[in-house]
Amino acid sequence: MTATKEQYQEGAVQSGGEQTRTITLIQAVTEAIAEEMEQDSRVVLFGEDVGARGGVFMATAGLQERFGKKRVFDSPLSEASIVGAAVGMAVRGLRPIAEIQFADYIGPGFDQILSQVAKIRYRSGGQFSAPLVIRTPSGGGVKGGHHHSQSPESYYAHMAGVKVVMPSTPYDAKGLLKAAIRSEDPVMYFEPKRLYRAAKGEVPNHDYTVKIGEGVIRREGSDLSLIGYGGVMPDLLKAAEALSAEGVSVEVIDLRSILPWDRPLVLQSVEKTGRAVLVSEAPRTANFMGEVAYVIQEQAFDSLTAPVAQVAGFDIPYPYVQDKVYLPGANRIVAACVKTLNY
Amino acid sequence: MIEPFTTQPIRYVDPDGTPTQALPEKYTPELLRDLHAQMLRAREFDRKLITLLRQGRSTFYAQASGMEATQIGLARSLRAGHDWVWPYYRDHVLGMALGIPVFELLSQYLGTNSDTSRGRQMPHHFASKRFNFASVSSSIASQVPPAAGTAIAQKYLGTDEITVCTFGDGATSEGDWHAGVNMAAVNKAPCLFVCENNQWAISMHSRDQMSSENVAIKARAYGIPGFYVDGNDIIAVMEVCTHAAEWVRAGHGAALVECLTYRVGSHSNADADAEKFYRTRDEVNEWLGRDPIARVEALLERLGHPVTPEERTGIIEATYREVDEAVLKAEATGEPDWRIMFEDVYSDLPDHLREQEAFLRAEQTGGAQ
Ligand SMILES: Cc1ncc(C[n+]2csc(CCOP(=O)(O)OP(=O)(O)O)c2C)c(N)n1
Repeated sequence: MTATKEQYQEGAVQSGGEQTRTITLIQAVTEAIAEEMEQDSRVVLFGEDVGARGGVFMATAGLQERFGKKRVFDSPLSEASIVGAAVGMAVRGLRPIAEIQFADYIGPGFDQILSQVAKIRYRSGGQFSAPLVIRTPSGGGVKGGHHHSQSPESYYAHMAGVKVVMPSTPYDAKGLLKAAIRSEDPVMYFEPKRLYRAAKGEVPNHDYTVKIGEGVIRREGSDLSLIGYGGVMPDLLKAAEALSAEGVSVEVIDLRSILPWDRPLVLQSVEKTGRAVLVSEAPRTANFMGEVAYVIQEQAFDSLTAPVAQVAGFDIPYPYVQDKVYLPGANRIVAACVKTLNY
Repeated sequence: MIEPFTTQPIRYVDPDGTPTQALPEKYTPELLRDLHAQMLRAREFDRKLITLLRQGRSTFYAQASGMEATQIGLARSLRAGHDWVWPYYRDHVLGMALGIPVFELLSQYLGTNSDTSRGRQMPHHFASKRFNFASVSSSIASQVPPAAGTAIAQKYLGTDEITVCTFGDGATSEGDWHAGVNMAAVNKAPCLFVCENNQWAISMHSRDQMSSENVAIKARAYGIPGFYVDGNDIIAVMEVCTHAAEWVRAGHGAALVECLTYRVGSHSNADADAEKFYRTRDEVNEWLGRDPIARVEALLERLGHPVTPEERTGIIEATYREVDEAVLKAEATGEPDWRIMFEDVYSDLPDHLREQEAFLRAEQTGGAQ
């Protein structure tokens, strides 16, 4: 496939082919990488076990065979080297996609993200930049204990200098990853691992991207805005369904991008419904949704008929045995909505 | 005298059971039988736990099959419950050899109420205060700087304890590994670093993990001795680890031992198809031929004290009984209540956690909130 320069620009949504296929979220990730590697020889992929093994979740299965060891390679077990090397490559003109095996293991690479990835453009007066993507499975629900279940996206939203996204459908997973790879900025791309195979959906056969920073309305409604992203989205939809059986009309918004996030979409929705319930599975304190709540009260205060509610994870390290109790499921979301509606 | 920085791994017994040098006197047939029994028990423990996993009673397991000589040999160089251990996740055999009861390990494995880690860790990420066996962190090499710190404290406090820190070959690529080894080295802290080099870090062979000839040689850069040993030869492991531990205990500072061994099974149950993706059956078979348990059996045979089939069966059956009883006993203690989620986050319960606990209590007991 050949594409014009315009088509590579972030956010350029292609139209044309009518055909779609149904794939899983993890297939969407693999396809996005493969297509971008096909189209742009600057794109390289590396990380722990991404090559012959195809990644521990098989997100990169077959890519080394297809693109060779020069473009798809295993790295020594060092997240600092993975992230740091990606910065150096990006500065020198490549488009690295760095896989971190689990979001819980970014730790050793955190300083590289904080000190290099997020700041090089700013501190060099725009002379250097690091257009790279850090992909990593995150979130709970897989009985993985704290080292395989955390949701650290808020740390990165707090950093200034990186963009942060988290899809919940195959369509978004593919479109957002393509946009991230084409982006001139570093993007933290969190993959909700419990949806890897659970989320199935249609993607078009033609090339498309999903613009970073744009949320989407998953379900229209007029009584309450239910806002989330990533692994919790199916629970939001379930909750909305349950409430609709009770005659409540819930608008469900998937942020998709955490930074920058779609303020107009959220504000318009809250202005319409007058109520907002924000859902994420990350621990409550300093959770990014706190920022969303702040902006709603600052800019849509007059529309509010109830306080903005938050459903979040607890402020504890993610526990192993209580995996399911920890996560905000549909019931907990419904309860928060009912409380907000009855305020 | 045991020399550091050898190019070939230090060995006392060949894979076919032939001694390559005179064996120190302490290796009597009784001791060898004891070591053999412990290794066989560990092997069967792995087998049993994989069965439990297949029965859906747990979700994760990382075997140590093939690495018994390394972990048990190392344990024999330590004073159990006196010296400290900062282990990594594959060290259940080391824990067993130090005396951690199977019941304790099983409780953690199943996340029952009897679990000393209170159901918070992944299965088999053990911790035991009683055995100075620090809590396993899954995050690779994150135990290395803390181990240096424990050793610095031991020196500061004037104890005669030492600290042992274990890790795989993959861990030596992490910055934490280098930072921790350096920290212990410059402080001349009594820290024994032991690499259980089973050659694979999931799908990465150690050849691709590093370009130095081995791990032991890296010790040179930090100014400490590095010993390279055949990790499937329990006598070699015991001799070298004891020598290094004594050197460390004598106040000379830190040391590094690399045990060259092999992970015969998969990385974990999540990687059950290793041979399909990254390694060959031939390689596995070659290393099965260097099995540490078979090696001691061959040596005992040569010494005229063979392990009989009945003895073998006895050990295996005793292990299964031990595990079965521990499982029943552990499961009988039930699953930890959700309430304990909020404990141990801090030494006390701050207000925001008190509120979150109250919220969950209302939800779990069906009360409106
Ligand atoms: C910081 C970090 N990155 C990635 C992982 C995922 N991971 C778990 S085990 C493993 C391989 C470890 O290999 P090695 O250190 O050689 O030990 P082995 O499992 O072979 O005994 C990896 C990459 C992790 N646990 N921690």
